[in-house]
Amino acid sequence: MSLIFRLAGQRCNSQFLKNSNGLISCIRPVTLKATNVSPPSKEGHDERNMKLKRPQSPHLTIYAPQLTSLLSISHRATGIVLSGYAIGLGLGAIVLPESIPHYIDCLHEMGPAAVSFVKFSLSFPMAYHFWNGIRHLIWDTGKMLTIPQVYTTGYIMLAVTFATAGFLTVM
Amino acid sequence: MALALVLKKSLSVQATQNFFKTAIKVDSKRPFTQILSAIKKEPIKVCRESKFNTPKRLMSGDHGKLWTVERGVSVALLGMVPIALLAHNTLLDDVLAASVVIHFHWGLEANVIDYVRPIIFGHAVPKVALGLLYLVSISTLGGLIYYNHSSIGISNTVRKIWKKE
Repeated sequence: MSLIFRLAGQRCNSQFLKNSNGLISCIRPVTLKATNVSPPSKEGHDERNMKLKRPQSPHLTIYAPQLTSLLSISHRATGIVLSGYAIGLGLGAIVLPESIPHYIDCLHEMGPAAVSFVKFSLSFPMAYHFWNGIRHLIWDTGKMLTIPQVYTTGYIMLAVTFATAGFLTVM
Repeated sequence: MALALVLKKSLSVQATQNFFKTAIKVDSKRPFTQILSAIKKEPIKVCRESKFNTPKRLMSGDHGKLWTVERGVSVALLGMVPIALLAHNTLLDDVLAASVVIHFHWGLEANVIDYVRPIIFGHAVPKVALGLLYLVSISTLGGLIYYNHSSIGISNTVRKIWKKE
């Protein structure tokens, strides 16, 4: 600070100092207080937001449903459903008192509506996860990622999925 | 060097020129290259500090190479599912069971990591949940392979459901 003033005094001529509109009237001394450096915060993004009671981002309860987000969460949901089927078959084969074919016979005895319901329940998540999975794999290669492309492939995928699931249900 | 100059009023042209002269004189006594060379002397120390100062997130693990393997299994499943369901072969049923189980295990693991977070459930519950998932996945794989060999198998099960009466 003193260096500035000293240099200013050397450099600036006297008429400049006397002038009330000159440089000196424009200088305001500022006192800087030295403090210890505070360590960086250890809390992450989510910890901070929870502490501040901020809503989750995206704020799903006020966020408009979009095709992009709905197809994404549906992919996960159908994946969970299909996982449930696989787990049910695998564990059911071990723990159920009767064999699995026995239960399928029981299903057919219940009538065509029940069979169609089961067929759709099996084929729709499978078709959805299959076709949308192709979309995700294409994205993983870095292609088809613009918003118009995402919407176009999304609608195509939905059409193909419902066609596949409908065909497999009535088959 | 703290240059604390607050310009309250508009300066005349002469004053501006004088100010910049002064500033250049101050800078020439301590050029920036000196400051930069002082940092360059200890690059390792700088790296270490930045590593330790990075806050550790309690959310997701690092997947790394596993990502590529996951995609490989996903692509393989696109072919495996139709082929195995149409072929009605015990070996293909076993391969289907193994690839399906590893695929859904990774998927459910991502779910557990995303939703059963330490920030919400504490440190114990997520570990228990992940352990349970491993138990379920391994049991399912064992159950499906047992089913393929002791009963009609996966593909014939699907065919039986779709069978016309």
